[in-house]
Amino acid sequence: MLLEVRDLHVEFRTRDGIAKAVNGVSYAVDAGETLAVLGESGSGKSVTAQAVMGILDMPPGRITGGEILFKGRDLLKLKEDQRRSVRGAEMAMIFQDALSSLNPVLSVGDQLGEMFVVHRGMSRKDARAKAVELMDRVRIPAARERVRQYPHQFSGGMRQRIMIAMALALEPALIIADEPTTALDVTVQAQVMDLLAELQREYRMGLILITHDLGVVADVADRIAVMYAGRIVESAPVHDIYKAPAHPYTRGLLDSIPRLDQKGQELYAIKGLPPNLLHIPPGCPFHPRCPMAQDVCRTDVPPLYEVSATRGSACHFWRECLHA
Amino acid sequence: MPEQPYEPEGAIAGTGMGGAMDLGASEAVTLEKTPGGPDGTGPAEKPRSLWSDAWRDLRRNPVFILSALVILFLVFISLWPGAITSGSPLTCDLAKAQQGSGPGAPFGYNGQGCNVYTRTVYGARTSVTVGVLATLGVAVLGSVLGGLAGFFGRSWDSLLSRTTDIFFAIPVVLGGLVLLSVVTSNTVWPVIGFMVLLGWPQISRIARGSVITAKQNDYVQAARALGASNSRLLLRHIAPNAVAPVIVVATIALGTYIALEATLSYLGVGLKPPSVSWGIDISAASPYIRNAPHALLWPSGALAITVLAFIMLGDAVRDALDPKLR
Repeated sequence: MLLEVRDLHVEFRTRDGIAKAVNGVSYAVDAGETLAVLGESGSGKSVTAQAVMGILDMPPGRITGGEILFKGRDLLKLKEDQRRSVRGAEMAMIFQDALSSLNPVLSVGDQLGEMFVVHRGMSRKDARAKAVELMDRVRIPAARERVRQYPHQFSGGMRQRIMIAMALALEPALIIADEPTTALDVTVQAQVMDLLAELQREYRMGLILITHDLGVVADVADRIAVMYAGRIVESAPVHDIYKAPAHPYTRGLLDSIPRLDQKGQELYAIKGLPPNLLHIPPGCPFHPRCPMAQDVCRTDVPPLYEVSATRGSACHFWRECLHA
Repeated sequence: MPEQPYEPEGAIAGTGMGGAMDLGASEAVTLEKTPGGPDGTGPAEKPRSLWSDAWRDLRRNPVFILSALVILFLVFISLWPGAITSGSPLTCDLAKAQQGSGPGAPFGYNGQGCNVYTRTVYGARTSVTVGVLATLGVAVLGSVLGGLAGFFGRSWDSLLSRTTDIFFAIPVVLGGLVLLSVVTSNTVWPVIGFMVLLGWPQISRIARGSVITAKQNDYVQAARALGASNSRLLLRHIAPNAVAPVIVVATIALGTYIALEATLSYLGVGLKPPSVSWGIDISAASPYIRNAPHALLWPSGALAITVLAFIMLGDAVRDALDPKLR
């Protein structure tokens, strides 16, 4: 396994108390594999990724338990400077909003080249040449001229390509993409996703795709991990989930996709709001919103039941859900 | 940063999960949109940045041009006062005391019979030296301390914030009277040192605040995720984005330091005769305001115009560096 997260716990100390953002998340990604992490805002998907990258703001954040094994090493036990040499070179991250993720006062060439200056000790001139090469790679037209331009002079799709180029610069083994297409036009979304998927295949990288867009997931992911209230509620190969979800929350998500064959009908929505992380409901955290909830759900936290060898569901009634 | 747990919009399934529709549409259209000129594939436009935009704004601003001309003139006469005067500011003839303008003395003579024009020109050197050096000292010390405190936060930040509180509690003029009255050296250095000592907390607060703001930007997080070290984050990603407010406040402060030097010299604790300074001349001329108002008018006027020029320059720079005003 390239990356294995085991029983990760993260909490944030806030003025109102301790917010438990991640409560025992485990997932794994292999080289060349794409794992989609799915969930609503506040489900802990980005926090988990930040903990893996080691860019969590601490304080207020705190990792209270678990292991993050990357190529067999526990990243949480590394010193900060060792950790830093892993970041960017061996694992990289692509952020949601490329405009705010690029420094407005530096040209894109300087920012792309920085990767080579920081990690490879290259001269600025060589780094500039590498930057042009990278921009060609992610198919930015007229790279040689545009390398001196600033981020605000690029369109949204082109900026996201630059972010991808930065992440790919040192050919890392793992890429974490945190909602890479959310801020883009629909037409551009597909191009950027295709580019990312193509480059991933080419370099045989592991890819963690954080998203709430089920459409993107169906296209590119191998496995899906659905998160709710800082836990993984269902983990399965992508086709299994689309065929028959084994958790009522996953079912709710799938049912809320607007469908062309049901024109004019009301859209389905999961009732209620995501839980307050300061006061996560006892038992199964989804029970207040769950149409299948029984008494046991209010008291017992469901473990991740083994549905099949490659599939798990944290629902006491996963069998009923699967065959519903 | 934790994701916001209670956010209702987008969080509710059904509105936030609409992405599946995107699939069909995206297959049909494969051309990336290229809105506007700069994003086309045509010839690249000239690179622009915050600073080049600001400079373009400034060049068109009459307030900036006027104040810059005044300041350039001041710098010129403080470097080469001999270019527009003849004679020394210390050559005085009591026989001419309080006389009005005459040949070679367009501003007349003061109570000691010194040429007011010559003394006003030579006084610019003191003012510009004190203003520029005190501002440099304050800006460097203040932004280094404030920037580090803002970046590293925690106990460093608390320590610095409480220290600046203490300095803010010291009244400037009273502090100057107490501290500078024990100094015997009659040079600009004790005055500059005093201003740096009392002035740095102002800049350090500004620098701290703007570093904290810049630190929260996504691109700092992104650079960290790509392996940049703390010093690299601070110097390359945060500092250039945090320096604008410091420049603005420092420019405005420069004017007030010049006024403060005059104030301290007026009170007799800044520079003392035979040094030449507008403050000294204002102080010496003020008892004779009825008999020889010109001896008071010219150094006071020069001081007022200088301070105003720097404050106007600071205003113009602030407007140019604020992208929201564009």
